[in-house]
Amino acid sequence: MEEFYLYIRRRKMRNQTRIFLAMALCMFLLYPVVGQAAEKFPTKSIEIDVPFAAGGSTDVLARMVAKYAPKYFDKQLVIVNKPGGGGVTGTESVVRSKPDGYTLYLGYGSGHDLVMPHFVGAAQLPKMPYDTFKDLLPVCRLSVHSVAMVIRADAPYKNLKEFIEWGKKRDQVTASVSTKAGSVDITFQALGKATGLKIVTIPFRGGADAVTAIVGGQTDCGGNHPSEIISHIKAKRLIPIGVALDSRDPAIPDVPTFKELGYNVVTVGSVKGVAAPKGTPPEVIAYLADRFKKVCDDPEFIKSMKDIGQPVMYLGPDDFGKYMKEGYEQFGKLIKEFNIKLE
Amino acid sequence: MFQGLIMGFGIAFSWTNLLFALIGAVLGTIVGILPGLGPAATISLLLPVSLKIGSPVTSIIMMAGIFYGAMYGGSTTSILVNIPGEAASVVTCIDGYQMALKGRAGPALGIAAIGSFIAGTIGVIGLTFMSPPLAEFAIKFGPPEYFALTLLGLLMATLLGEGSIIKGLIMVVLGLLLGAVGLDPVSGSVRFTWGFFMLQEGIDFVTLAMGMFGIGEILINLEKELTTELVTRKVTHLWPTVKDFVESKWAIIRGSFIGFFIGILPGGGAVISSLVSYAVEKKVSKHPEEFGKGAIQGVAGPESANNSAASTSFIPLLTLGIPGNAAIAMIFAALLIQGVQPGPFLISEHPDIFWGVVASMYIGNVMLLILNLPMVGLWVQLLRVPYAILAPIIVLFCCIGVYSIRNTVFDIWIMGIFGVIGYLFRKVGLEPGPLILAFVLGRILEPALRQALLMSAGSPWIFFQRPISGTLMGFLVCFILFQVVRALWKRLGRKA
Repeated sequence: MEEFYLYIRRRKMRNQTRIFLAMALCMFLLYPVVGQAAEKFPTKSIEIDVPFAAGGSTDVLARMVAKYAPKYFDKQLVIVNKPGGGGVTGTESVVRSKPDGYTLYLGYGSGHDLVMPHFVGAAQLPKMPYDTFKDLLPVCRLSVHSVAMVIRADAPYKNLKEFIEWGKKRDQVTASVSTKAGSVDITFQALGKATGLKIVTIPFRGGADAVTAIVGGQTDCGGNHPSEIISHIKAKRLIPIGVALDSRDPAIPDVPTFKELGYNVVTVGSVKGVAAPKGTPPEVIAYLADRFKKVCDDPEFIKSMKDIGQPVMYLGPDDFGKYMKEGYEQFGKLIKEFNIKLE
Repeated sequence: MFQGLIMGFGIAFSWTNLLFALIGAVLGTIVGILPGLGPAATISLLLPVSLKIGSPVTSIIMMAGIFYGAMYGGSTTSILVNIPGEAASVVTCIDGYQMALKGRAGPALGIAAIGSFIAGTIGVIGLTFMSPPLAEFAIKFGPPEYFALTLLGLLMATLLGEGSIIKGLIMVVLGLLLGAVGLDPVSGSVRFTWGFFMLQEGIDFVTLAMGMFGIGEILINLEKELTTELVTRKVTHLWPTVKDFVESKWAIIRGSFIGFFIGILPGGGAVISSLVSYAVEKKVSKHPEEFGKGAIQGVAGPESANNSAASTSFIPLLTLGIPGNAAIAMIFAALLIQGVQPGPFLISEHPDIFWGVVASMYIGNVMLLILNLPMVGLWVQLLRVPYAILAPIIVLFCCIGVYSIRNTVFDIWIMGIFGVIGYLFRKVGLEPGPLILAFVLGRILEPALRQALLMSAGSPWIFFQRPISGTLMGFLVCFILFQVVRALWKRLGRKA
């Protein structure tokens, strides 16, 4: 009898334990859901992937943002460089990451976003492993790296008009550009067609090498983003004579646009924005866009950026999305209009 | 100038700056010793930390220390375990390891440290007194000059190998082909990538070298009896003898000057200078047959060259704002983020940074010598660690190092594939040395040739019309003629 009693008691306890355990399990399983609803984004540091090598202009921009971010972001921004495939591999890793706002892509609007897709299929260029517009959500635009035309200070020509006159007397004029079929190359090929000059673009391995070439006087003119050449402009070694933007570049406000000079060569250059993988919640995008805006409004940040030749040009998610599509179409139009092909 | 240098020493001798120079030197030595992990990745990892140090001078002093410190450390791994600790120490493996096998690890390490110190100091002296004119000289190097220079280097590559010219040529051609993998910079088309976007920027030099030399070496060692090794690795001398110094003094001086000039070229750098120095030493030696069997000049020359190149590669950065290699590009970025624009105005606008960093490099080199010489005894002891323990650790560090370059696992696979290839090469008696040199040079040579021909609208005269490339091409023609005449002379002599 006593044994039976004990058995009942044990069973009761076992039941109680079971119920308790079940409840605990439910709590445990539900906790993240409940917890997430209660805690606001971000709860941990945010990874910013730069699909280019450390030390380049996009990387410097990212690190500059990260330097001023602690004032405005609730968590740290961590910069990770993932160079490869002209930016494609790093971007792809963001596309494939969890869309929770903790992995972002900085550099949205670079050559592999706006120019490269136009050449897919040509020159054995493999198909893009993602869709630049469908698989990524625009967060904000930070800066625009325009395409500027520079000449050496000791060249026999001082402006675009003189350069064209000088160039018309020769078989060809050479222009150093950072990469084949990049934003700079396309712009210069278009400029050649628009001015009637035979501009032969000489591609180098990246912007730094192209700068070295024009500084060393290897080519007749050079195409570069202002941030790459600002120190040489200040040193009066290089003179910028034209910018391929719709309006003047705030980084070099004294330099006229090609449009002002009478040549309709307008591109968006290389856009530097932030994007998140498709499926990132809108409130997270809103948070990020808001905080990046605060960084972009910081006078100290604006000053530091101006010093390195990168104008701060913030645009919110919707406007930036529209701007990206326009920029993409603009390059497409230019490539078609001037019949630019990969060899 | 002397005023500037005195001011620089005033800055460099402050306690904080001394401390960070020491931290940089120690970190650099460690990074140098660890295979795969290079200064560029280390500096990029430390960049956020360095911004918190406060003054730009202090953080740049530390980063520079990491960069040239790595050149000291790199030789250690090459000599002791036949695995390059650093990309610029690849060639040191060849004779350094042979010396270690003969029980002369101590002298090899010692001469590497002393050569590094002498060369590093010569480089810094150049940086102090001749920066602006040297930078002007460096930017005169355009595509035609790079083509002529690398063609000359390639000719030397065939001399790198020990045995037959045919085997050397096979490796050179393979190296050139491997160098062609990826996006063709001139036409924009993609070559040999098999659809991998990761291969579009080509195979990384460190990945290739760590695979061929590091993993390949470990695989071949798996065949050996582990017990026999410890016996053969007995140590006879701990320090270089007077004879060693006499034998390597010219190698050190030649290496220093080779490194000096190749270092200032934006496309040059420590890796190429070490390879060229090795080829030159082998060519000028009265006993070229000793190379590959433990010639001390084969260690002294390249190890000096890479250090002097590391110092002079600061010249284009500090005087023109042109970063010549990945590690220097990181220092460039660090300066920009701290609001300092490296370039023509650096010396006048921020004399504290220019002279402070230059002065710290004199101090850093002394620190590294003091740090590295007493370590020789300790490193030699490392040989007593059983290979069964050492090998997995080396593989681990190779993986971490290669991963750190682009933050991708893909490169670890590439390293593994080249490890197997390196193993097979060793089995059939093909040497990876010429392949490595051809790989490095080919990546400069081919675009340079095509860029030059674009510049001249297709005329090859561009290589002979320009003074620097013309001189180099003339030298090249003489070199080939000399070899042909000598070969003919020998044949005629035999007939007669």
